[in-house]
Amino acid sequence: MHVIDMGHDVYKANDKVAEKNKKKLDKYQVFSVNVMGAIGSGKTTLIEEAIRQLKDKYNIAVIAGDVVAEMDSSRFKKLDVPTIPVNTGKECHLDAKLVEKALDEIDLSNTDLLFIENVGNLICPVDFKLGEHLRVVIVSVTEGDDIILKHPMIFKTSDLAVINKVDIAHAVDVDAEKMRDDILSLKPNVPVILTSKHDWESLETWISFIELGVKEAQNR
Amino acid sequence: MHELSIACEIFEQVMATAKEHGATEVKHVTLQMGRLSHTNPEQLSFCFNVLANESIAKDADLIVEMIPPSLECECGYTGAVDEKKIRENCKFESELLAYAAVMECPVCGKPAQLTGGRELIIKSIEIETENQD
Ligand SMILES: [Zn+2]
Repeated sequence: MHVIDMGHDVYKANDKVAEKNKKKLDKYQVFSVNVMGAIGSGKTTLIEEAIRQLKDKYNIAVIAGDVVAEMDSSRFKKLDVPTIPVNTGKECHLDAKLVEKALDEIDLSNTDLLFIENVGNLICPVDFKLGEHLRVVIVSVTEGDDIILKHPMIFKTSDLAVINKVDIAHAVDVDAEKMRDDILSLKPNVPVILTSKHDWESLETWISFIELGVKEAQNR
Repeated sequence: MHELSIACEIFEQVMATAKEHGATEVKHVTLQMGRLSHTNPEQLSFCFNVLANESIAKDADLIVEMIPPSLECECGYTGAVDEKKIRENCKFESELLAYAAVMECPVCGKPAQLTGGRELIIKSIEIETENQD
């Protein structure tokens, strides 16, 4: 019997590919956003709104992660932006290798902003960096106000938190401010945005946050 | 559940190393898993065994060693989180949350950077070879 030392770190192997992706995106001054959140939290809608407002100013592409179907990617294609559907099969998250492959299909020299819509799940995407510049987690008030403390790691590792569908918070008996406080208790100083697709001002806050990143990327 | 993709990665790496060393059988695979990684050891074992079903690793045991979270603080502290404080924090339902909540420096109390506890490492494998030496 022989013992062979390996020391192979599975997540680090993913992180290495993620670093490579990021370098490639940096080279073309692309700002990439990894959008994470549960099914039904409003990821697709918020990305769509940002595309509608920003697509005349910037070239936008989308990598849309779906478990099987191509529901979300067809919504982005309707907005006339290059969209790469990534079907993960049984998996519950995108990983850096899947994104690496998808990047090959995007004309990066003609892209300013890349949205990566992750698979709907608050647990698995945490462990996998993709090469993104901004990690966004979106939760909606319909998930209940204990959703945040049930999934601490995704909030601890995100650069921006969005609490969505706040217009119906009262109807589902949820206090959006408590959700904000919970997020800040896990990660003090993280920007938290409260949004509703029926409140234009709140969407503007979300969109200008994204635009700020694009501008920074172009000045790098 | 992302144990299947991780089990695939482990299986591929283990088989490559086993082949490189002329293994006829893989007996044990030792993993080190951070307590904060979202991986379930039982599910991982199950997935690995399914994948290894027709290989020289079909009877391999997956041994999982857990790694506690570690911190780095701007005050200069590097080391483990305050385990005692975690046990006292019984208001938290999950161990994960208890850890996440106390990621502050045990010396100065400021929020500290997490430096370890989320890893998943294939530490070593134990193999049989044709020529016993
Ligand atoms: Zn300190």
